[in-house]
Amino acid sequence: MDTLTAKVDDPAAPVTVRPQLDLELRGVRKRYGDFVAVDGVSLKVEKGQFVCLLGPSGCGKTTTLRCIAGLEEPDDGGILIGGKEVTRDPPWERDIAMMFQDFALFPHMTVAKQVGFGLEMLKKPKSEIASRVKHVLKSFEIASLADRKPGSLSGGQRQRVALARAMITEPRILLLDEPIGALDYSLRETVMLELKLLQQRTGISFIWVTHDQNEAFSLGDLVVVMNHARIEQQGPPEEILQRPGTAFVAGFVQGNNVFRGRVAEIADGHVRIETPVGPFFVPFTGAAPVAGGEASFSVRAELITDAPSERHGNRVTARCTAVEYFGSVRRHIFERPDGEVLKYDQFGAHAARIAIGQTAELGWQKEDCVLHGRVQR
Amino acid sequence: MTRWPRIGWKTRLSLTSWILGTVTVIFLTYQWLPIFTLGLLSFSGPTGGTTFPMNGTSFHWYQEVWRATVMNDFKPPLMRSTLLAAACSLTTIVLSVMAAQAMRGQFRGNSWFFYLMLLGIMAPGILVGFGFAIMMRILGVELSWDTTTFLVQVSWTLPFGFLTMLAVFNRFDTRVEEAALTLGASRLKTFRRITLPLVLPGVIGAGLFGFSLSYDEYARSMFTTGPDTTLPLAVMAQLDRQLTPEIYAIGTTTTLFSLIAVTLCTAGLWAMRRSTSLRRS
Repeated sequence: MDTLTAKVDDPAAPVTVRPQLDLELRGVRKRYGDFVAVDGVSLKVEKGQFVCLLGPSGCGKTTTLRCIAGLEEPDDGGILIGGKEVTRDPPWERDIAMMFQDFALFPHMTVAKQVGFGLEMLKKPKSEIASRVKHVLKSFEIASLADRKPGSLSGGQRQRVALARAMITEPRILLLDEPIGALDYSLRETVMLELKLLQQRTGISFIWVTHDQNEAFSLGDLVVVMNHARIEQQGPPEEILQRPGTAFVAGFVQGNNVFRGRVAEIADGHVRIETPVGPFFVPFTGAAPVAGGEASFSVRAELITDAPSERHGNRVTARCTAVEYFGSVRRHIFERPDGEVLKYDQFGAHAARIAIGQTAELGWQKEDCVLHGRVQR
Repeated sequence: MTRWPRIGWKTRLSLTSWILGTVTVIFLTYQWLPIFTLGLLSFSGPTGGTTFPMNGTSFHWYQEVWRATVMNDFKPPLMRSTLLAAACSLTTIVLSVMAAQAMRGQFRGNSWFFYLMLLGIMAPGILVGFGFAIMMRILGVELSWDTTTFLVQVSWTLPFGFLTMLAVFNRFDTRVEEAALTLGASRLKTFRRITLPLVLPGVIGAGLFGFSLSYDEYARSMFTTGPDTTLPLAVMAQLDRQLTPEIYAIGTTTTLFSLIAVTLCTAGLWAMRRSTSLRRS
């Protein structure tokens, strides 16, 4: 339905044309019986953005993607693609394409046939389809596979065919459900880079679902962290890495140490939070937290030092239980008095200073703490 | 004391497979020998009987089948049975694909639907046929091989086709259909271009079930067929009158034809599966 008839039918209906956004979700909700899979997800994707939906399995990221594709109908909320309301439209009427985790190639069609499938559905003339398929196969470097069937292709080749099949109609949005999860580890890095370049070249918005934070943070212009059917935090990768908004995000993102406690005192821009490990001073901006309320904060492992001076206002004493060496960093795992672990990353090029079993005093500056917006229940 | 060399468990495994295979072959031989016997006796000479020893060899009884009198002409019943079986097969295909597709939708009360579909297998054939005949008499419908028999036989063949299609759709990867939908194919186009070609082996299987079950159905046809009989009924009638190797000739011919049909279908299915399997060849 175009917007003109919408206005004629219902004069109160708002004009829904917003060409600046490729995708907008407005409070999308999806239930399966008693299980809430997606709970009030709102999201804005600008033109040509690379968005990563990140979260543990069962957090609702795939269901959200399927709602965008039209493969699931949301119980509540609205979906706009390119400014057009599509909430009740079937998948085949939406300006999207989707790449599935195991690629979902058509086993009975040759590579050329299934890459041309999308154009065939658009009722393009045969000669145009043939030349376009030829061109696309060539640019995806799979021209030699044109007459083969998926059964005889390797994982990497299947991935290319699936991508070519999805991209040939140049949709507004490409939805990718763990698109490199089925590939060998050695292939992933290359494919990630190729996909990022492809996205930048074509200007098509990518919505990429993954549980792998390396993928999300290295690819996404916008990272959306989901948990328990809700969006925990969305923002550019740097913001999520440096300023996690909730205890869940801080714990989910590698290299954070999360502390939970109660707000004991508020004084000159800092709160004193009493935790089972001891008191810590955390800066805050904006509205002051309520004294006596629950609070959590995190500090990144590389901001901790094992030689605290008076600059380091937060201290903790713990015993080292393991050391992992990654080359760039040397990660020490400490056992906190409250039974949880504390991670401390030392610059990898420096000589080791703490041995396993050793008890050390660690410290960090007050300003390195990040106060979370709300405590995870 | 001799020490037997220890046999590895893999060797024992293959030995077990051989033993189990042999048992199966023995059983199959037991199953097929009577048919071979019939086949052999159908080649007896003109004075031959229906028991051993054979009295000469000839194609006499096949010629008898070919130029039969009106009394014991098997050609019209054979024709009717073949047409009936083909019609049952086609109907089974269409209805069972539709029913299985409906089951995939997980609609309310689908378990009731499932049991209702299977009723045709569980109900005894003679009772179904008899009850149907009585009902038709009350309704004033004349019994005939191409109306009443057809209906009652479809009620018998449909559940088998339905179960076959359910099994096929159980292993069907729905993401392939979803991929087609996101590529701009409507539900109908997806069914025609993606679903149907992929489940075609199962569809043919359902059709074969329908054909063979209808072709030799006796109990359900007994009361529901009018004056023009089907092949099983004609054979039974002939058995009542006189037993000659002519019946064996009919049996052998039809067995041969169905063997050829089944072999062709199997070869077709095998070729299809080979070209669509996702495993690397």
